[in-house]
Amino acid sequence: MRTTWFWDVPEFRRGLGLILVFGLSSFLLLPLLTLLLWAFADEWRYPNIIPQSASLKWWEWVFTNGDVGSAVRYSFITAPVVTLIAAVICLPAAYSFSRFRFPGRRALFISLLAANAFPKIGLYVAIATLFYRLNLMGTYWGVVLIQLVGTLVAMVWIPAAGFDSVARELEDAARDAGAGPLRVFWSITLPLAMPAIVVAAFLAFLAAFDESQGTLIVGSPQIVTMPTLMYTLVVNYPEPVGAIFSILLSAPSVILLLIARRYLLAGYLAAGFKGR
Amino acid sequence: MAASDRADRRREAALGLAMVAAPIGVVCLLIVVPAIQAATFSLGLVPTDNLVFSTGQHLVNSDTATLAVYRDLLASPFIRDDLWLTVWISLLSVVLVAIVAYVLALYVRFGSGRLPKIVRSLYLIPMFVPVVIASYAAITFYVDRGVLAAMLHAVGLPYVSPAYKASGVVITQVWFNIPFAVLMLGSGLDGIEQELIESAHDVGAGFMTVLWRIVLPMNVVPLLIVLTFTFIGVVGSFTIPFLIGPNAPQMFGVAIQAYFSNYNQPQAAVALAVMLFAICAVAGVVYVWATGRSNQHAVTL
Repeated sequence: MRTTWFWDVPEFRRGLGLILVFGLSSFLLLPLLTLLLWAFADEWRYPNIIPQSASLKWWEWVFTNGDVGSAVRYSFITAPVVTLIAAVICLPAAYSFSRFRFPGRRALFISLLAANAFPKIGLYVAIATLFYRLNLMGTYWGVVLIQLVGTLVAMVWIPAAGFDSVARELEDAARDAGAGPLRVFWSITLPLAMPAIVVAAFLAFLAAFDESQGTLIVGSPQIVTMPTLMYTLVVNYPEPVGAIFSILLSAPSVILLLIARRYLLAGYLAAGFKGR
Repeated sequence: MAASDRADRRREAALGLAMVAAPIGVVCLLIVVPAIQAATFSLGLVPTDNLVFSTGQHLVNSDTATLAVYRDLLASPFIRDDLWLTVWISLLSVVLVAIVAYVLALYVRFGSGRLPKIVRSLYLIPMFVPVVIASYAAITFYVDRGVLAAMLHAVGLPYVSPAYKASGVVITQVWFNIPFAVLMLGSGLDGIEQELIESAHDVGAGFMTVLWRIVLPMNVVPLLIVLTFTFIGVVGSFTIPFLIGPNAPQMFGVAIQAYFSNYNQPQAAVALAVMLFAICAVAGVVYVWATGRSNQHAVTL
């Protein structure tokens, strides 16, 4: 008998599966659940497994705090702009990589990965020294540029795959029926590539919105977005404040996730190179 | 006909290059130029037009390239400890991420029934959690006299908290890096055909033989991407070690930020950054190669 006979026993494998699922869900979810409970806790002392008393008083504190208001404002005037700029400069490039032949095409396509091939914190400090010379430190556009770095790969690679997946026969058929190149693009190519573009925009927005390290180095103390304010809140205030703020900070991710759900399941996530 | 063909092709090439110019320009401006500048600045070649550089503390300013900045940094036992900590935390995180992710990816791909479906939606969760929140959640859960401590206390087990220690960093890194790793390995496994595995089973190959002889060799490139991407990510991380890591020695990410923002020593910060670039150089090259290669199969380029 082989030494690994037990792998082929169904009960063993089912039991192993149960342990795996239980262990994984505990490992992944319990820290998040703890944070969720803290957001509504008033007093929670060891060795209580759940809070002794609940309270919403810290919610009021968070919602009336001036720093929080300013951080929310900065987050919402940076991340959408970053996503828009990324789309404007990257989508034509994605189309070009997918459809045109030109010298150095593959090398240039691969070179975008440089954004992921450098350790982030080192890259940000190197960018910051350049920004000092360009007077971009502590400015709005400095923050926009540093957040842009993490969106490039997703915003070119995923839409390029999307354009690739559009069947050329459909475009040819439209052209044969008398449609001009622009008409073909707007009526055939773009709608069919849309799921990929939506996924890319979704990932780019999240990358920009959640970016904390580069924004901290380049933006603070003048520009403090929600993720960078989190560093201060976590260190200086009691647990419920950080927990409530965490919920506010994850709200856009969760809302976007629900909206983009059917696109995300389309399989483009595997190409979602998160730039962190 | 041939002449107009060639003109068409030239026009296509020009248009194609023009359309990719913007993102490539951003890569040059925000990655290539800063990296080169960081290297020259750390070698003592200080740009004169920059007040912040020339007023930084402990500035080495030289007309020719010198390794003085690196020599001073590496002479410090604190920096050497930081370097050592950074390297072994990164290696340990990478190994653990790869093992956990491989088990999950195999289970999702080859498991049957309802449980693998649950795993499929579970493992994606950290992808949608900002790293700041992930770190804070880990602290509240793992901290001494925290929730995990209370749960273990309830069943009478002792608890040693990993918070504010190297192990806390490793645990949080694994948590955070699981989605990408499983997605990547999973996309490689999806390419392995069921018939191949079944025919191996038919000739008497057991689970382990199939895994070792068929699945692993066919999934080398995605595995390389996971190993290198995770390694670069952990080496260059700041938030996780800053919030849940030890104070001394500390990971390079934390040290770099402190030298840059708190100690007003941009040159030392940049030199540490260049050291990180050097540590990640091999991983970076392998990552770019492997990703380019795997993309060749996935996308018709």
